[in-house]
Amino acid sequence: MELTYLVIAILICVGLYAIASKRNLLKIVIGINILESAVIFLFVFSSYRPGGTVPIISGNHELFVDPVPQALALTAIVIGASTTALMLGLVIELYKRYDTLNITEIRKMRG
Amino acid sequence: MRKLYCLILAILLASMFFMAFSGLQEVDMELSNFYLETGVEETGAINMVTAILFDYRGFDTLGEATVIFAAATIISFLLPKKQTTMLKDDFSLLVHKSIKSVIPIVFILGVYLVVFGHLSPGGGFTGGVILAVIAILWTVVFDLEYSESKLSYSTKSLIEDLGALAFVIIGLFGMIAGSTFLASGQAGFYLGTPGEILSGGAIPYLNMAVGAKVGAGLAIIFNSLIKGE
Repeated sequence: MELTYLVIAILICVGLYAIASKRNLLKIVIGINILESAVIFLFVFSSYRPGGTVPIISGNHELFVDPVPQALALTAIVIGASTTALMLGLVIELYKRYDTLNITEIRKMRG
Repeated sequence: MRKLYCLILAILLASMFFMAFSGLQEVDMELSNFYLETGVEETGAINMVTAILFDYRGFDTLGEATVIFAAATIISFLLPKKQTTMLKDDFSLLVHKSIKSVIPIVFILGVYLVVFGHLSPGGGFTGGVILAVIAILWTVVFDLEYSESKLSYSTKSLIEDLGALAFVIIGLFGMIAGSTFLASGQAGFYLGTPGEILSGGAIPYLNMAVGAKVGAGLAIIFNSLIKGE
C-alpha cells in the first residue's frame, strides 16, 4: 500500500525534475508525459479493491473495483494524447523557426 | 548548481504529495456502490465504465471529444499542408504484403471494440484509436501519398465532423422527448435486455459516433505531424 504511493511519488519527482531542469523541448514533453502517467497510476490505484473484478456486471461476481476513477482515467488518457500531439506540433514549428530545441538559445534569439 | 536546486524542489514536492496520498486511505464508496447496484437497470449496459462515461456523465464526454476535435483542427492549421514526408519508404515487398493482409484484421478488431463497447472492455475511444492505427500503418509502411489516396484529408475531416454532429444530435433527441440533454433511458431509447447487442439505450450509438470521431481525428493528427518541408 505504502510502497505503491512511494512509486507514484517517485514518478511525480522524476517528471517534475525533467520539466524543471532539462533544456531540450522534447525532454520537457517527455517529462510532462511521465507526470501524467503518475496521475493515471494514482487513479487506477485508488479504484483498486482487494479481490474485486472488472466492473462488468455479468455472471455471479459479487465484488467489483470502483468504476468512477477508471472513467476519469480514460478521460485523462484522451486529453493527454491530444495535448501531447499539440505540444509536438508546436515543437516542430519552433524547430523550423529557430533551428534548435534548446529553450535558452530560443530565448536569446527572440526579438 | 541549477540542476541541484531543481532536484531539491522536485523531491520536496514529491514528498509533499506522498504525505498527502498516505492520508487518502478512506475512499468514499457511496457513489460507486450506487452505480454498481442500480447502473444495469437504469442504463441497460453491463459495462459500468461505459455506462458512467456515456450515460451518467455523457456531457463530460462531449467536452472530452471536443478536445480531440480542437487538437486535430489546430494541428492541421499549424503545420504545413505539403505532400512530402519526413519518412523514407525503404521497406521490402515482404513488409508491404504482410501489412496489407494485417489491415483487415485490425479493422475488424476496431469495429468490434466500438460496437461491443457496452458489453466488454473497450468502447468508442479505444476502438477509435485502433481504427486510427490503420491510417498510421498506411503512412509509415507505404508513404503519405498512398495514405491520402486511400482516405483523403477531406474524407477524414468529414468523418470527424459527422461523428461530432451525430453525438450532439443523439443528445438533442433527449431534449425533444421532454427529458434532459443526452438522456438515454428517459428519452425512450430501447434499453433491451442487459447483455445483448441491442441494449443500453443511446450508448451504442454514442460509442459509434465517438469511435468515428476519435479514429479520424487521430489519423489527421498523425498525418499532419509527419508532413515535412
